[in-house]
Amino acid sequence: GVVHAGFSKLWGQENYDLLQCPNVLPPFKIEPPKIALGQEFLDAANCSPDIFRCTMTKIPETNTLLQKSRLPLGILIHPFKDLDHLPVIQCSTIVRCRACRTYINPFVFFVDMKRWKCNLCYRVNELPEEFQFDPVSKTYGDPSRRPEIKSSTIEYIAPSEYMLRPPQPAVYLFLLDVSHAAIESEYLHVFCNVLTSCLSNLPGDARTQVGFIAFNSALHFYSLADGLSQPHEMTVLDIDDIFLPCPDNLIVNLHERKELISDLLAQLPTRFNNSYDRGSALGAALQAAHKMIASTGGRITVFQASLPSIGPGALTVREDPSQRAGAEVHHLNPANDFYKRLALECSGQQIAVDLFIVNSQYCDLATISGISRFSGGCIHHFPLFKASRTPQATSLERTLKRYLTRKIGFEAVMRIRCTRGLSIHTFHGNFFVRSTDLLSLPNVNPEAGFGMQVSIDESLSDLHTVCFQAALLYTSSKGERRIRVHTLCVPIASTLPDVMASADQQCIVGLLAKMAVDRSMQSSLADAREAFINVAIDILSSYKLSLNLGSGPSGLLAPNCMKLLPLYISALLKHIAFRTGTSTRLDDRVKAMCDMKSLPLYFLIQKIYPDLYPVHNLEDQNTTLNVDGEAIPQPPHLQLSARSLDSKGAFLMDMGEHMVLLVGQNVSHTFLNEALGVPDYNSITEEMFDLPNLDTPHNQRLNNFINYLNDEKPFMATLQIVRENSPNRNVFIEHLIEDRIETALSYHEFLQHLKTQVK
Amino acid sequence: MATFEEYIQQNEDRDGIRFTWNVWPSSRIEATRLVVPLGCLYQPIKERSDLPPIQYDPVLCTRNNCRAILNPLCQVDYRAKLWVCNFCFQRNPFPPQYAAISEQHQPAELLPAFSTIEYTITRAQCMPPIFLLVVDTCMDEEELGSLKDSLQMSLSLIPPNSLIGLITFGKMVQVHELGTEGCSKSYVFRGTKDLTAKQIQDMLGLTKVPAAPQQQQQQPGQPLRGPQTQAVPPANRFLQPLAKCDMSLTDLIGELQRDPWPVPQGKRSLRSTGAALSIAVGLLECTYPNTGARIMMFLGGPCSQGPGQVVNDDLKQPIRSHHDIQKDNAKYMKKAIKHYESLATRSATNGHSVDIYSCALDQTGLMEMKQCCNSTGGHMVMADSFNSSLFKQTFQRVFARDQKGELKMAFNGTLEVKCSRELKIQGGIGSCVSLNVKSPLVSDTEIGMGNTVQWKMCTFTPSTTMALFFEVVNQHSAPIPQGGRGCIQFITQYQHTSGQRRIRVTTIARNWADATTTLHHISAGFDQEAAAVLMSRMVVYKAETDDGPDVLRWVDRMLIRLCQKFGEYNKDDPNSFRLSENFSLYPQFMYHLRRSQFLQVFNNSPDETSFYRHMLMREDLTQSLIMIQPILYSYSFNGPPEPVLLDTSSIQADRILLMDTFFQILIFHGETIAQWRSLKYQDMPEYENFRQLLQAPVDDAHEILQTRFPMPRYIDTEQGGSQARFLLSKVNPSQTHNNMYSYGGDGGAPVLTDDVSLQVFMDHLKKLAVSSTA
Ligand SMILES: [Zn+2]
Ligand SMILES: [Zn+2]
Repeated sequence: GVVHAGFSKLWGQENYDLLQCPNVLPPFKIEPPKIALGQEFLDAANCSPDIFRCTMTKIPETNTLLQKSRLPLGILIHPFKDLDHLPVIQCSTIVRCRACRTYINPFVFFVDMKRWKCNLCYRVNELPEEFQFDPVSKTYGDPSRRPEIKSSTIEYIAPSEYMLRPPQPAVYLFLLDVSHAAIESEYLHVFCNVLTSCLSNLPGDARTQVGFIAFNSALHFYSLADGLSQPHEMTVLDIDDIFLPCPDNLIVNLHERKELISDLLAQLPTRFNNSYDRGSALGAALQAAHKMIASTGGRITVFQASLPSIGPGALTVREDPSQRAGAEVHHLNPANDFYKRLALECSGQQIAVDLFIVNSQYCDLATISGISRFSGGCIHHFPLFKASRTPQATSLERTLKRYLTRKIGFEAVMRIRCTRGLSIHTFHGNFFVRSTDLLSLPNVNPEAGFGMQVSIDESLSDLHTVCFQAALLYTSSKGERRIRVHTLCVPIASTLPDVMASADQQCIVGLLAKMAVDRSMQSSLADAREAFINVAIDILSSYKLSLNLGSGPSGLLAPNCMKLLPLYISALLKHIAFRTGTSTRLDDRVKAMCDMKSLPLYFLIQKIYPDLYPVHNLEDQNTTLNVDGEAIPQPPHLQLSARSLDSKGAFLMDMGEHMVLLVGQNVSHTFLNEALGVPDYNSITEEMFDLPNLDTPHNQRLNNFINYLNDEKPFMATLQIVRENSPNRNVFIEHLIEDRIETALSYHEFLQHLKTQVK
Repeated sequence: MATFEEYIQQNEDRDGIRFTWNVWPSSRIEATRLVVPLGCLYQPIKERSDLPPIQYDPVLCTRNNCRAILNPLCQVDYRAKLWVCNFCFQRNPFPPQYAAISEQHQPAELLPAFSTIEYTITRAQCMPPIFLLVVDTCMDEEELGSLKDSLQMSLSLIPPNSLIGLITFGKMVQVHELGTEGCSKSYVFRGTKDLTAKQIQDMLGLTKVPAAPQQQQQQPGQPLRGPQTQAVPPANRFLQPLAKCDMSLTDLIGELQRDPWPVPQGKRSLRSTGAALSIAVGLLECTYPNTGARIMMFLGGPCSQGPGQVVNDDLKQPIRSHHDIQKDNAKYMKKAIKHYESLATRSATNGHSVDIYSCALDQTGLMEMKQCCNSTGGHMVMADSFNSSLFKQTFQRVFARDQKGELKMAFNGTLEVKCSRELKIQGGIGSCVSLNVKSPLVSDTEIGMGNTVQWKMCTFTPSTTMALFFEVVNQHSAPIPQGGRGCIQFITQYQHTSGQRRIRVTTIARNWADATTTLHHISAGFDQEAAAVLMSRMVVYKAETDDGPDVLRWVDRMLIRLCQKFGEYNKDDPNSFRLSENFSLYPQFMYHLRRSQFLQVFNNSPDETSFYRHMLMREDLTQSLIMIQPILYSYSFNGPPEPVLLDTSSIQADRILLMDTFFQILIFHGETIAQWRSLKYQDMPEYENFRQLLQAPVDDAHEILQTRFPMPRYIDTEQGGSQARFLLSKVNPSQTHNNMYSYGGDGGAPVLTDDVSLQVFMDHLKKLAVSSTA
């Protein structure tokens, strides 16, 4: 026993009795588990877990074994992640398996210098002569020196046979809600400012096109024709049978018409100020937008502030605000299929629709989100938005700036292949499944994540490894057709303990969250919640089984690789997406569910279980050096519980897009003066949304740390500094999810419940 | 006593009126035997610079079913301060403000010189005129450019306080919001959809009561359909005072672009004329009903889609011709006519007029749209191009001003007619609609638009002329006392271009005569010119509904009957036939009318026919006569220019002819003159007199071109020139290839036509007139 335990510890496989370890969170960043292929070269070549991740670092050799483990099998992929070092290859022939069209990758077998054996279907293929040539060293020789063989993530510049038509230009069409609610929110000020400042940085080339439609009860088109001294607004009132008011100049070349565009953006924020039109003809606007760019494809960006109330796709209020805390949640499914059908039409024309929801009232995101979910779009939500509220305005500003300037891939398709014997059966994310393994993504963006469930159809016992390959074919904003290929190789496990020890708990949580969203829609939220609990019980039960302890020691045992699983599941049960008992606006819940389906794992985990750090004593912490050689303090992660807090301390919670710094009332004056730059505690106002830059070591350390956290993000998080006695403290306190919140169990109570159920 | 000729002239100058008969037959039965009906041509607002400014309301007869206006024909009892109505003989007290009245101290309306007088109703609200431009953009750059220039120019001619609006159309219809800041703005409608006035007003938010939240400043708003709406009187967005928006409107017009929708090879532009006009009518209807307004529509081609479509977009299918119509092969015609007629009715009901400026080489559908102009008094102008001086000058003349510097343009008028009890009103023919006002004065027999004593004239000018017809209802058994006179009063209420409400009153009287005993009195009072024009209007009015041959037969029959009644002849002896001087020209007028484009339609397109007829139905007597029988002047070295017969014999080698057909001014150079001209003699100092000869008709033509509305087509041609056909088709074919040999070779140039000559016509007429069996 002791020896075994010792070895187990050595291998990182020791047991935890969760009930005995309240502080289960490791102090530092949780690294994804390593996949060990047994060959250094292959391990090095394998795909980054930031891009491609499997719920297990070893695949059970049979379905029976998988079932025994009760672990969900699936992969998560973040295919268009911004990458620092991406090998790009331009060649006349892209080497692919002639049988299954797999791209050559580091995990193929070279039969000899001229032939390679496909690692997905095992066909032996000829190697083209050219492949001997190493484009990096510009010499002939060993094919394994090729970038395709050295790296699992690679991008090809596609030759013309990968094009059905000339690559499309970057086309950006903005749909702007100008209903009364939209005008009151004043989002247009933020939108127009940001877009104006980003006009020169929109991804694209000389062909880039831009257009605008504003809509309330009517549609307002903007002709930006050559020769006009000002934009010409054309209003179409007949929204039930929508048509374009003119055939051209509604979507125009950005570079040729920049002045008119800027002029329009200067006018738009106040243009509808005297309009008291409460209607919002989103459906008609989308139909018009579809007509406008159907011939090219492109991106439609919708700003929506109110419930689409008129014309095609009009909706009525379904949410009953008095039921927001109820155990049963209704209306998670769309009220009609208008938005989904239109999304599929858009998808067919290579058009993606992105939503920016800036609503102050219910806008039925469950229905309108269909336009993005099925067209490969993305959804951003700013509930109760008012541009006069600084953090909201800042948040929109930053999100939008990132959105407008980040990379974009047009007219994309993604195909996922896997080794024979496995099959992919359920996809999660925003796309349309065109055929069994082909996802249609009219647009792809660097923040889009996808998940797939995998089943084992045949015994894999003859194999050492299995592979997954994702190939994303897209048109870059510069009009190049490109293929980005990611290949993940995972070894086979033949025993239950081996399988249990290979669990990737974050990846499992990521996949479970996606499955739970489906469950909520197809069945009910209550079922989804029950399934979460059952998964925890089942996995812990099978783990107990795998330990073969009989009716031995009591406690709630979990392996190291899964010790956070119950914590994450308990957090999911309290997450906006799945919680009950706490008042939750339906739109907020639906947005959270959309996030579950489409966020890359890293961001998703932070949404489920935000990071909490003590920051009052950064001078005492270890440091690490950032790229600029600055020392960055490394405070430990704290559990999300009131017991982690201290009135003498200051605590930073990082929720991804937002950070809150809670300052205890007994914090040191030094911290107040030198880190925060305030003379005393009460000088921390209710509206402190910035950390000043001071010439003090305390302040620099804190700023450095916050900047370090922001470096990981696509854009800077907003920051709010809150006194612990402020009414605003709730923005912090509500995330202390390990504590009992209203009727929801505390983490400890949850564990006790699990213990009673684990057999 | 003056001659009848002088009498007629005086009456026309003073009252703007010409009667067919200036002595009236005193019984019904005799009146019908005069053949030419008792009627008049009346110019309701003939230019009179000498009218006194009357700033009070007219005094009305107190009898309820009379309400005639006090006039110089009324008997006045100055002591009792009473006046006797000359229509119903009611004794009326003068109103208190007339207390100081005496024989020496008469108000203007009692002075014989002011049988026509005009009142300005000062208490009525002044409304500036409204101009709504409706502009086709389906034309090439050059055409559109010219049109834009003209439109911009017109902004300097329209009074600055006028309200102005702009609608443009092609495949779509755009209603432009004026006076916007920043972006220009328009509302866009499908050209294929016919919207009701209700739909238009709902969509454009024109019915909503302004209801902005209280803290909100009242400012020009946006369109809306929400529960709360904009804060300004709604129409302001689309109809703005010109002074307020002329800079931005000038820019807006300047930036108008061709209809952007692609037109495939072999196709016509999709042009939504019918929808555009419908929206224009609807817009005015729900914003300014019963207020003077003028829709000015500019067309570069035919309506090819949607309501009012006259042709489809396939160029292979030409627009209907008279032959197609005759063969009932004009697919779109009836439906289109119905659409435009309903718009015409709606416009007219609201007092709004429609002008159509059609500038295209091919037809644009004037035939289908004509009622829009004819019912509302709007102009119909036809030219080949917006770049032609014909269009440019004509359009400029729409805004002609009188001596006081005011537009010669009246709006939203009604003409009411009252008459002595011996008369009844049969109807009117002109650019108007009936207001269907029933009265005991309405005759059972209708001529033109009858069954009413009031007509609506949505817009009219000083030259606008109405034809009115009267029936003598007095029975022969009820003789009129010696010296009794019949009276007619014309009351025209209208919106003056200044915005003032004005009432023009003309009261006339004519003597009665017993035709059985004193027919010569009656015949002496015959005005053959007025008769010719009045008959032409009747004929053309008939022709609009009846078949060609029937109409011609009717003209012939009426002429023969007139000749029978008033000619002197021995039965069955054509050579004995004579007509007195004041009848002598009438058969010739009828001869030319028969051959005119008004009745012989097959040489013209249906649009041209509609245009010609439109002009005949509105112009004054002098202009109408030119249309019926063109004027021909001859220029030679032998003396000053002289009028010559409209006859082939007038075509001589050494002469220049100037022909005025009203629609065309043609200069024709005889063969010799043409040769000299091509040899450039006129440039040689020794042939200065030739240069002067060439110049003289040009100068005279120029004078006509300067004043005529619409500007005529100017043609300069010569013997053998291709455009000489315009002359040859008008002149009497006294010599044709049929009879030239019998006349010998030196009489003049032969004309190739199978028409009967005037001589043949007259011979035939005489024969029939004197025939005892006819
Ligand atoms: Zn293969
Ligand atoms: Zn009377």
